[in-house]
Amino acid sequence: MIEIYDITKKYGNRTVLDISSLSFSKGETVVIAGPNGSGKSTLLKILAGTLKADSGKLTVGGKVLYLPQQSLPFGMTVRKNILFSIESRTDKEVRCDEILRKLNLKAFEGKNAKTLSGGECQRLALARLLVNDCDFLILDEPSSAADIEGNELIEGAVKEYKEKNGCGVIMTTHSPRQALDLADRIIMLCDGRVAENGSFREILQNPQTEWTKKFISQWSIDFNR
Amino acid sequence: MLLSMDRELLHIIGVTLRMSFFSTLISCTLGITLGVLIGQKSFKGKRTVNKITGTLMGLPPVVAGLIVYMLFTRYGVFGELKLLFTVEVMVIAQCLLITPVVINLTQSVISSNAAIIRETAVGLNFTAAKRLRLLLNENRQALLSVVLNAFGRSIAEVGAVSLVGGNIQWKTRVMTTAIMLETNKGNFSFALALGIILLVISLIVNIIANLLVKEEKR
Repeated sequence: MIEIYDITKKYGNRTVLDISSLSFSKGETVVIAGPNGSGKSTLLKILAGTLKADSGKLTVGGKVLYLPQQSLPFGMTVRKNILFSIESRTDKEVRCDEILRKLNLKAFEGKNAKTLSGGECQRLALARLLVNDCDFLILDEPSSAADIEGNELIEGAVKEYKEKNGCGVIMTTHSPRQALDLADRIIMLCDGRVAENGSFREILQNPQTEWTKKFISQWSIDFNR
Repeated sequence: MLLSMDRELLHIIGVTLRMSFFSTLISCTLGITLGVLIGQKSFKGKRTVNKITGTLMGLPPVVAGLIVYMLFTRYGVFGELKLLFTVEVMVIAQCLLITPVVINLTQSVISSNAAIIRETAVGLNFTAAKRLRLLLNENRQALLSVVLNAFGRSIAEVGAVSLVGGNIQWKTRVMTTAIMLETNKGNFSFALALGIILLVISLIVNIIANLLVKEEKR
């Protein structure tokens, strides 16, 4: 379980995050959406422990893996990038081959990661995470640079990883379709505050902000899903 | 002269390499460690530290030589060590000159990407040691330039080493001080020959260093 209480964060005089309470459970996929500058990435950074909140309490029960919006491809081959990221274990090579195939990176395994395209880099960054076990997977727009095929590969890999590990997934996205496809629960942030927090059905029935209305208007509604 | 390589010339080359190697090693060990610490941390007074190292980068070699000379002269603070006019004191003078350069360049290299490397590494649950390994590996080309810059400064320096070393034959004479001496004697061809050897040494060191820190391409 990850829980936060009364978290605030300011950049200069501007309050970018002000959340009274939120919790995330293992086995649940939570998608965080909201307009640019609404505090999504800041919230994820605080949850992942790469940024300290100005005030409030954060409790993290379990191991967290985090994919930042800009993840650095290491200056080595794609294969070495993955092997370097695997925590000490005996089946390194097997895990590496498996994830390379799953994210369609096998053809680039001998290439220097710095020469990959944006979408390929994103797949590599996710691959480095998914070769390790964790209790919570935190992903900041994991497929923002991916094409349709890359997007499918990323979503498929995340779903499969979650099913296999039973971990919790917390991710941000600007894609209404991705939110609908992956989320058990959706949190909408607006000016650093939680504007919505519920299943897509609950949000559809009673949207609180104009931005939410725009966001959900792009969902093709299938209540039997 | 170059082909015959007389004993004195070989001794001068040996002293030059020994002095440059140790001053590069010490100043880079100190400078890169401090540069990495300063570059990846935010702390009060960081700007002041950068201003100080930036100012010390412009320290004239003769002034550095003078300071070290005063410290190691018979009545100086370290006079009892009797190190004046030795290769050791030449190394100390060079470290005084080069370390601020290494600190400043290293912190500038590290601060350019330390934040993104840290975020990526923390996200992957890397240990502190693995994070440092990654940081150094990601900046290896730039840090190689810093080391080569330090070596270049060391091997080409003349003001401080002639002051504290005394340019003593068979003892503290190095390539640069020998070039100066031969030029003053009007022995231009010998001075030029020494200059060529100096350049060749620099070239060889550059080639070896680049081979050691080869970027993976494909």
